[in-house]
Amino acid sequence: MPPVRRDKAERLADEELMPWIGRKDPEAFEVFYDRHGGAAFSLAYRILGERSAAEDCIQEAFISIWRSGGKFDPTRGSVRSWTLSIVRNRAIDALRSKAGKAPKLTFDDDEILAARPAEERTEDEAIMHETATEVRGALTKLPGEQSKVIELAYFGGFSQSEISRMLNLPLGTVKGRMRLGLEKIRGELAEGLA
Amino acid sequence: MSANDHDQRLEEAVAFALGSLDPDQVDDFKDHLKTCKRCQEELRWLAPAVRALPEAVEPQAPPPALKARLMAEVRADAEAEQRRVKAEKRQERAATGGSFSAWLGGLRVGSLTWKPIAGLALVILVVAGGIGYAVGTGGSGNDHTHTWELKAEENAGIAATVVREGEKGEIHLAGLKQLPKGKVLEAWVEREGKVEPVPALFAPDKAGNASTTIENMKDVSIVMVTREPEGGSKTPTEKEPFVQVPLET
Repeated sequence: MPPVRRDKAERLADEELMPWIGRKDPEAFEVFYDRHGGAAFSLAYRILGERSAAEDCIQEAFISIWRSGGKFDPTRGSVRSWTLSIVRNRAIDALRSKAGKAPKLTFDDDEILAARPAEERTEDEAIMHETATEVRGALTKLPGEQSKVIELAYFGGFSQSEISRMLNLPLGTVKGRMRLGLEKIRGELAEGLA
Repeated sequence: MSANDHDQRLEEAVAFALGSLDPDQVDDFKDHLKTCKRCQEELRWLAPAVRALPEAVEPQAPPPALKARLMAEVRADAEAEQRRVKAEKRQERAATGGSFSAWLGGLRVGSLTWKPIAGLALVILVVAGGIGYAVGTGGSGNDHTHTWELKAEENAGIAATVVREGEKGEIHLAGLKQLPKGKVLEAWVEREGKVEPVPALFAPDKAGNASTTIENMKDVSIVMVTREPEGGSKTPTEKEPFVQVPLET
């Protein structure tokens, strides 16, 4: 199969690009990196707090995507969220391995989301296309104590018990704040789509 | 389960979605999730919020050197893969013998003689629903690739590949010289004895490669290419196409 032309690759949707990456097409991969490398690097930097560590994380995550590009399943969410979840998992692993703790990631929604109806996936895609500013807005509207536990959980990779000890709060309080906060973000996003 | 107990489960669902559930609770929660529609619904509802969190991060520009390092590794990988595929094809060719090559070697279309590129005598299968076939070996179906090398002196070294995938197709040319100013490449298809232009005009890149898409491959028997004035032509202006790829339909 001849390589895809750069201009054609740029016109392809992410989901159409992935089979080319599965066929080991560097042009397709470069377009994929140009689309998502910035968001991925920003996320890795947010989690790791160092540019060199973020670079290592992105290099590893994107090479793993390149080598398993054909494994992306379009029925299970968007390419972007799949990519960012890979980056997030690698960054948290790196963070915890640096701190001398074993990785303990628990979020794997593949089974749960596999049977999502098409209209839910469409809504999901629409949310992912909200501007970053709007999403940041939803997070900043939260009371500080709610955004803090969510940030420690998602960007810090800490469990609820660890957050409870860290903030010297009862475990039940951490759980309640986390639930309220995440449901508010979800509600804001849903309103934005209405 | 009481409403209170279930509220606890919903809190676990939130922690699970954020990757923050304590490790010793994960298996228990997953077991519960298998049968609890309410928690499944809660997770489905929350998932877009979790997926949106990375978008809330302050943007940071990755250093250009990162992309350069990444692409160097990717290209090295791709080259290694190409070498591996070529080696496999050489082995396949050795295993299938020369009958197919002879079938192609004698084919004459118009005033041009076409021969398969060395190393690609075997028709490459294109995956479409997981079933492919080799033209000339008794198979049937519509999805396949034809690769040809032009031997006519004027255009020596030009290789043309037509890839069919369902109703669509693409023609890829390699080894092209740059076009004179004001010229473009235009593809044509012969369908039921009539020649039709392919709307997407194209031009070679710096490496001498060019491709265009053929939206409707139904009943196409030959794909051809000519050099035409900018903007394309409704009928070919050259006496003969410099590329003609006959297809097995």
